[in-house]
Amino acid sequence: MLRSDFAPETDRNAMAQLASGGGVVVELPGDADWRAVGEQIRSAVQVDIRFASFKDGRGFTLATQLRTRLHYQGRLRATGDLIPDQARYLKRVGFDAITPDRSDLAADWAKAEQRFSVVYQPASDAIATITELRNREGDDLERLNARYRQSDALEILRDAIETTWRGRIALLSSFGTEAAVSLHLISRIDPATPVFFLDTGRHFAQTEQYLRTLTERLNLTNLRVLKPDAAEAREEDGDGYLWQRDADACCALRKVRPLARALDGFDALVTGRKRFHGGARTELPVVERVADGLRVNPLANWSAEQIQAYFQTHDLPRHPLADMGYSSIGCWTCTAPAYGGGGLRAGRWPGQDKTECGIHAPAQGAAVRPERK
Amino acid sequence: MYRYDEYDATLVRERIGEFRDQIERRLDGRLSEDEFKPLRLMNGVYLQLHAYMLRVAIPYGTLNSAQVRTLARIARHYDRGYGHFTTRTNIQFNWPALTDVPAILEELAAVEMHAIQTSGNCIRNTTADPYSGAAADEIEDGRPWAEIIRQWSSLHPEFTFLPRKFKIAVNGAAEDRAGLRVHDIGLQIVRDALGQTGFEVWVGGGQGRTPRLAVKTRDFLEPRDLLSYLTAVLRVYNQHGRRDNMYKARIKILVEALGAEAFIAEVEEEFEAIRDSELRLPDAEIARIRSFFGTPSIHNPAPLPEAGEPGFRHWLKRNRRAHRVDGLSSIVISLKPIGGTPGDATDEQLDIIADLTARYGLDEIRVTPEQNLLLPHVHNEDLHPLWLALKSAGLATPNAGLATDIVSCPGMDYCSLATARSIPIAQAIAKRLEVAGLSEAAGDVTIKVDGCINACGHHHVANIGVLGLDKRGEEYYQITLGGAFGKDAAIGGIVGKGLAGDDVPDAIARILETYLQLRRGSETFIDTLRRTGADAFKEAIYVAQ
Repeated sequence: MLRSDFAPETDRNAMAQLASGGGVVVELPGDADWRAVGEQIRSAVQVDIRFASFKDGRGFTLATQLRTRLHYQGRLRATGDLIPDQARYLKRVGFDAITPDRSDLAADWAKAEQRFSVVYQPASDAIATITELRNREGDDLERLNARYRQSDALEILRDAIETTWRGRIALLSSFGTEAAVSLHLISRIDPATPVFFLDTGRHFAQTEQYLRTLTERLNLTNLRVLKPDAAEAREEDGDGYLWQRDADACCALRKVRPLARALDGFDALVTGRKRFHGGARTELPVVERVADGLRVNPLANWSAEQIQAYFQTHDLPRHPLADMGYSSIGCWTCTAPAYGGGGLRAGRWPGQDKTECGIHAPAQGAAVRPERK
Repeated sequence: MYRYDEYDATLVRERIGEFRDQIERRLDGRLSEDEFKPLRLMNGVYLQLHAYMLRVAIPYGTLNSAQVRTLARIARHYDRGYGHFTTRTNIQFNWPALTDVPAILEELAAVEMHAIQTSGNCIRNTTADPYSGAAADEIEDGRPWAEIIRQWSSLHPEFTFLPRKFKIAVNGAAEDRAGLRVHDIGLQIVRDALGQTGFEVWVGGGQGRTPRLAVKTRDFLEPRDLLSYLTAVLRVYNQHGRRDNMYKARIKILVEALGAEAFIAEVEEEFEAIRDSELRLPDAEIARIRSFFGTPSIHNPAPLPEAGEPGFRHWLKRNRRAHRVDGLSSIVISLKPIGGTPGDATDEQLDIIADLTARYGLDEIRVTPEQNLLLPHVHNEDLHPLWLALKSAGLATPNAGLATDIVSCPGMDYCSLATARSIPIAQAIAKRLEVAGLSEAAGDVTIKVDGCINACGHHHVANIGVLGLDKRGEEYYQITLGGAFGKDAAIGGIVGKGLAGDDVPDAIARILETYLQLRRGSETFIDTLRRTGADAFKEAIYVAQ
């Protein structure tokens, strides 16, 4: 009944043995006491556990105990009054095969078996649990970061785009003052790499002009302009002054949600963030997990001088506003020139505590929630 | 608060797909009603007297404002404009169409909620002390453990077709506000001699037809062994719990039949065998889950407001609870307006509550087993504006913990199991006591009303319990006295023959009047009752007859 690729070696052996006329089949009722059947199943090549009713779950524990306490390794088959919705549970507790009384629902059984891709509990099928995957991924990220520590930005990007997240990675660019560096690096590897630009509807005309200049110059062929949902924008920002009332809500509408929608189908997103930007970026790793997936920050450890040098070496055009004191550029509504120190991003959301728009929000809530504003 | 990662979200999404498919198969006949029933129940869908009912899980009673807003929207679009909070800190919608349920589940999933295992013979939503993270008497926050149990118990391959339902509660404070003694498994966080925390485990409590208090099965369980131990208990129960009689199928009957000692020996044998398996919780995972929970810290603690309208001061006195952090208060939002339906909130009220949760509550609100809501963390300087806002929404009834703060099951007005009405009785009692000024005069006392012996309204553990029954088509009500829910848990005793519904409010009033005559000093109702015994109270109940 179940798909053939789920029959393990023991199952095939048992079948062969049975086909040749050797081996014993033992049938147990679902309510059998596992402690009492050790002798009975010792020489069995197949044990059938019969479920009197699909609502009687004793057979699930019986199968578990045969596999884990009695170490029974032969073929284990579930028979009786079973429903397709139990396919996966049966498989998980150690059954190799299922022969339900009602035999006309093969398609439903096959579908039910494939229904879930993740599990919380360890069971006889030895599938990696969510807990294991979480901790394993932590290790993976650590290994990847260790490897990338030995690499320069071009090598990191080449590995990320061509190998590690091939076909599932994009670059997010602000087309701001430093953006030309990662765009140029990408163009050297594969100009068809998807490049996301968040068109908030509030950008400086100079940024839009710069976007056209760079796209053309670097021959980028996969630019994707992400706009806020029109209906949401009407509802939440009818008068266009949301940025004044609640900058966080405005970023959520114009940046966070459009990006979240675009990320469907992508596992990782390359950003141009650098540690010297300061604030929350001081500890930026090369690869990190954030709320909606992975971020790859190949320029994390670059200095301002390295960026200037890269512009010169490759003769890259500058953002038209760079000479006017703007060191970091977002929407015109919330960006000022960063005069008088305070760091490169001092001109973003001037006069507010806000330093980030929220598109790279961390993966976990902090231990203690921040105090209300 | 816990936030889903992609694994949690994936599982909930796939579960919705499964339920959608199950409805489809029921409609085209591939699933019989007998097969569909346990499947829909395991997704919280009941068939009630008038319509389908959907019970939505609120894990350990914790919600944020976005989640409350979604509940408001569901009440508005799919129900008749209200939702009902339950004694197990979930919420029920009474009028959804079956075919709308998948769409409702999609809305819930968008705010990291679901209806998984809110009914059926499986492990139900795990509850915890509603004051977790806020209580002054807290030993350790129980919510991370409740979340670990939520994940482990979701779609469990071995324990989804149990003999009967299975309820687990976690309490991390000195006082037991989760009702551990009346749960299938109660986990009390304790400290050992070295200051390490672990669990004291209670098994085999329950209410319903055969109320039993749990027995202690373990003095100390290492936290990392939690899931191994729970698995051992469930495994013993799944094999040996009765399946021939649904009224004797709960684990309390098994514990009683085997005897505590034999039951514990069986569990320990299994536990030892699996203790070092993959069930052992990795430290990193415990730390990860813990990182989502905590107690807020504040900078400039403001003192409690001393001035204000008499109504405000009165509300503060009744509905405010001390917080472990100086400058913060916990506030009970009473869902017991006099004459209202206990535990109901309208869509408009839910929207207002969502706003207030975001504005004054550090974006966190709890549901309590008393069918009220609780803002655990409110800055003292916000108490007055909060009160004004609650008052204008009809949510500032100053009766938390009083006689009019009555718990009631839905009873005959909704439930297909009910043998009598419960909501109208609760309403009549509250009105009678309020008019006589008895609610305020009698102070802390618990009154709980049930419309059948299944005891969803927890009448067994009420100081004053009311149980509605049916005798040849006539409703009548049994009064119980002396029940308690916490550390001193007790099952109330039946006082005598049942009363007609109309006589119940006066009988309750006379019980409270008797207490006021008998009490000494600062005794509460239950103190006096325990000192004097029930005789004088019984006499008062039947005096008029």
